[in-house]
Amino acid sequence: MATDPRLARDPRRTSTPQHPPPPPPPLDTQPNQYSQVDGISNPPNQTREDGGFKLKFCTVCASNQNRSMEAHLRLSLASYPVISFGTGSLVRLPGPSISQPNVYPFNSTSYDTMYTELNGKDPRLYRANGLLTMLERNRSVKFGPERWQDWAIGKPRLDHREDRGSAGVEGGVVDVVITCEERCWDAVVDNLVEREGKLNRPVHVINVDIKDNHEEALVGGKAILELADMLNTAAREERDKSGGEWRNGADGGGSSFDDRVPDVIGIWQEKWPNLPALWTLAWF
Amino acid sequence: MSLSVAEQLTQLDAARQLVLQDSGLYPQIVQGILPIVGANARLELRRWGADFLAETFASPLLVPQEKERLSIFILQTLKELLENQGEDNNVIKSVIQAAASIYALVFRYIISNQHDSATWDRMTAIKSNVFRRWDTASGGIRICCIKFVQRVVQVQTPGVVADPRRPEQNEVSLALVPREHPLIPPSRLEPEALGLLDRLLNVFHEETSDAILVNATLNCFGTLIRTRQNAANKIITAILNFNPLRPINSPLTAKLKVQIKSMEKTTRTVLMNVLRRNESGPFASRIRQYIDRLAQTRFETFDEGSKKRGLPSEPTDGLDNAKRMRLGAELPDRPGPPPLPPGPVSHAQLFTLSGDRGLTSFDVTQLPIDLIVRITVPVLHRIEQPAVDAAINAVRSRYLTLKKTQAAQAQAAAQLTGEDEEDYEPDFEPTEEQIINKTDNLPPEDPLQLPPDLALGPFKLPQPPPLTPEETEQIGKGTISRVFSMMSVLEEPSAARRQKPGLNRLAGSNYDRDAWMTVITRLATRASAGLDEDDSEDNEVVEPKGTIAKQIPKPSLSDGIRETLWKFVIEDFRARIPIAISWLNEEWFNDRIQSQNQGGSKASKRPPQRHYEKWMLKILDSIVPFLDAKDKVLIRFLSEIPALDERVLDRVKGLAKDPERVTLAVNALYYLVLVRPPVREICIDALVDLWQNFEDAKAPAAKLLKKLRPDVLNEDSANHAPPPPSTDMIKSPPPSDSKDGLPSASVKGEGIPSTANAVIAAG
Repeated sequence: MATDPRLARDPRRTSTPQHPPPPPPPLDTQPNQYSQVDGISNPPNQTREDGGFKLKFCTVCASNQNRSMEAHLRLSLASYPVISFGTGSLVRLPGPSISQPNVYPFNSTSYDTMYTELNGKDPRLYRANGLLTMLERNRSVKFGPERWQDWAIGKPRLDHREDRGSAGVEGGVVDVVITCEERCWDAVVDNLVEREGKLNRPVHVINVDIKDNHEEALVGGKAILELADMLNTAAREERDKSGGEWRNGADGGGSSFDDRVPDVIGIWQEKWPNLPALWTLAWF
Repeated sequence: MSLSVAEQLTQLDAARQLVLQDSGLYPQIVQGILPIVGANARLELRRWGADFLAETFASPLLVPQEKERLSIFILQTLKELLENQGEDNNVIKSVIQAAASIYALVFRYIISNQHDSATWDRMTAIKSNVFRRWDTASGGIRICCIKFVQRVVQVQTPGVVADPRRPEQNEVSLALVPREHPLIPPSRLEPEALGLLDRLLNVFHEETSDAILVNATLNCFGTLIRTRQNAANKIITAILNFNPLRPINSPLTAKLKVQIKSMEKTTRTVLMNVLRRNESGPFASRIRQYIDRLAQTRFETFDEGSKKRGLPSEPTDGLDNAKRMRLGAELPDRPGPPPLPPGPVSHAQLFTLSGDRGLTSFDVTQLPIDLIVRITVPVLHRIEQPAVDAAINAVRSRYLTLKKTQAAQAQAAAQLTGEDEEDYEPDFEPTEEQIINKTDNLPPEDPLQLPPDLALGPFKLPQPPPLTPEETEQIGKGTISRVFSMMSVLEEPSAARRQKPGLNRLAGSNYDRDAWMTVITRLATRASAGLDEDDSEDNEVVEPKGTIAKQIPKPSLSDGIRETLWKFVIEDFRARIPIAISWLNEEWFNDRIQSQNQGGSKASKRPPQRHYEKWMLKILDSIVPFLDAKDKVLIRFLSEIPALDERVLDRVKGLAKDPERVTLAVNALYYLVLVRPPVREICIDALVDLWQNFEDAKAPAAKLLKKLRPDVLNEDSANHAPPPPSTDMIKSPPPSDSKDGLPSASVKGEGIPSTANAVIAAG
């Protein structure tokens, strides 16, 4: 029941990527309905049915509004466990002029609040520049923008059950972090070094450089989904391989998912030469 | 027991949900699941169990004491899983992660439980198992081994004991271990840790570095660098000796590119982190250097390197051409800039002429500014003019075509809303763009194609409206004042410089005040020499005296300069007398040149204007009233100007009217008698005049005349009468010689003035 409208959106979006995402009216007018539906523990079962093993993703951009949220939505529509963050100090949205941005604190302001506020200020302007559409999309995905630096890694995220893509990331840890700007990649890697890897859990941090506008975010979201699919395929293959023939010599080395990540990114990069990628393996 | 694997997994998932909700339940659940997920369980269960254990011991919510207690419980299971023949990679991976998390916990437990050798043996078994896999396993496992080893090194080296009274607050480290601990003697563990650290750092020395191992190692050093001084020095040194961009022989595949870029960027990020924590540490400057160098090498190796290595599979992509060109090929070989992609383009695209993917995506703003300067300046130096011109033309043609199309699209664009945001381009077709851009990187078929409308005719600037004389004058004045305003800006030449004049000095070569002075004086004297004559033709008033003032009603430009110069000198004549002298030398020289020219071309109807006397006297007149008895300025001035005549001496004599300055006048004259033989006679005449006509000067003049011309004194004392015109030379009327080339006195007085260097150098 919950999946149908979401999946229905997917093909439409890919076929007409030049339009900013208009979320379907029923979801926007009744956000509660969505949360009720999602509150039931359907998703875990669905994930299992949806092709078994899924890598857990995290998308990151500056304000956790445009690029990371587009990618968040895409990945969640493909039923990947996904969470998203921003690395900026504050959430900044364009205002009436370049010197008057709309600024909000992270973690506490909901997309809905921002939507209401901007809609009250100047609906024409914010509709025209795509902000309202973007916020409509975002509020259907999760509560509000979260800041990477404030994320307690490894802390269970049970209070985010209503977020899209939350199923599977209850443990508060992901396998792959995808940033949308090199600055964010720097911030994430630096922050992880700073946190000293207390959890001893490896994480691939990949940057996909996307310009911060609605169109590029759409393209980028598509590219990120493709990258996620490729990574997930590799991971699943490796998982199945060692599972299937499990007497192939434990210490024989050979390939592993982690080894294949640069390969996958290389292949992906040739397909998306305009979204320069960057990767490292860091520690949670 | 009859439950299917799927059902068991569902139950396990439910159990996990419980502990996630309430971390207090961990002890129960962990102990409950251990038998289900042990080494003999099904693969799915083992995977689940290993993942769960890794998650559990990483959890920030599980209290440390509880974690420590539980870690002892799971040791056996971890050990068995690791030792399980042919164990699944994913299981191993998770088990090693869990082991890394519990190593410190078990260590702490052993510190206080000195005799639990069974537990420590299990931990040691796990440890050596991990070490064995470290070099041979697949990358996924090896990175976890690296992290485990990092933990071991951290625990087995002494840390800082924050508060000895509260052991549970302290970081687990060798510092907490008693010296004579039977199981974990520090004397043995520390060398082991240092050995492990060396082994960790080996990844930087290896012939072919595996990016994932390098990255995993680099990223795990955060703690060690911060809390273990000795280890930190070792680690940073090792990183600084590591070159992530070292040349590779194999072709640059996409994967390799990702790996190299990744190692380079990770190294930089980690070092930046170190630098930020300790801006002034012992390594700070080395790190900065290293990062600079890295950025530079990346620029060369990576972005240009892709050119150098060339991709044999793509011989047509323009890279070969670029390479050949460097060997001295002709300019036409250079592939033309790719045409702009259709649709709206950014400024960056407009100016991007390179088709190279690496170059276009490279963000120059990432480089430190000084590095950019270091790169740009030599590049600009070496770049060939035709190349620059071609590039400019290419951009220009793009811009013109773009303007045309934009004008055509103006109406269409006007209808669209949402133009406020710069980046917002609604008619942009992103998916196609991706594909088109890919083909854009190929060189265009016809590199020299230019739009036909580019044929620009020669551009001529229209003539400006002619200036009225008033405007000319005004602008001229403005120019003069601007030229003089430089004086206040320029520094005084240093004393050292001032001391080394000589005949070899080149006037105006120092760019100091002196030099500027030379420029100004020559502007005044020579730049417009000969021009004024034409101007003044109408008001041909040949002044009988030919000396001071008002010969030209309309002041010429150079007179304007002279006027300003004169004021400048007078303002502070004591300090600026050298300026006056060199100026007057120039004037004198110029007058000579003019008169020579005049002599050469008889055609001219009248003599050129004389400036020297006029301005020399003007200066003298304006300084004489201010001289005091001890001023050396006068003597210097008189001795250094290039020519003297009676009019000058008259002014000197005038000084003698003031009893206080008699000596000055006499001394000045005497000095001239001594050092300027050409004017000796007229100076003695002046002294005679002094002696005869100035009461106060009688005594000093007489003293000198006794030596110089005793006959006058004798004559005079004989008849006590006012002296007759004793010599014919005396009082020759000044105007008498104003018509010919030079006043007679100045011909006499001509000599090489001591400051004539500038004049000489001017040749």
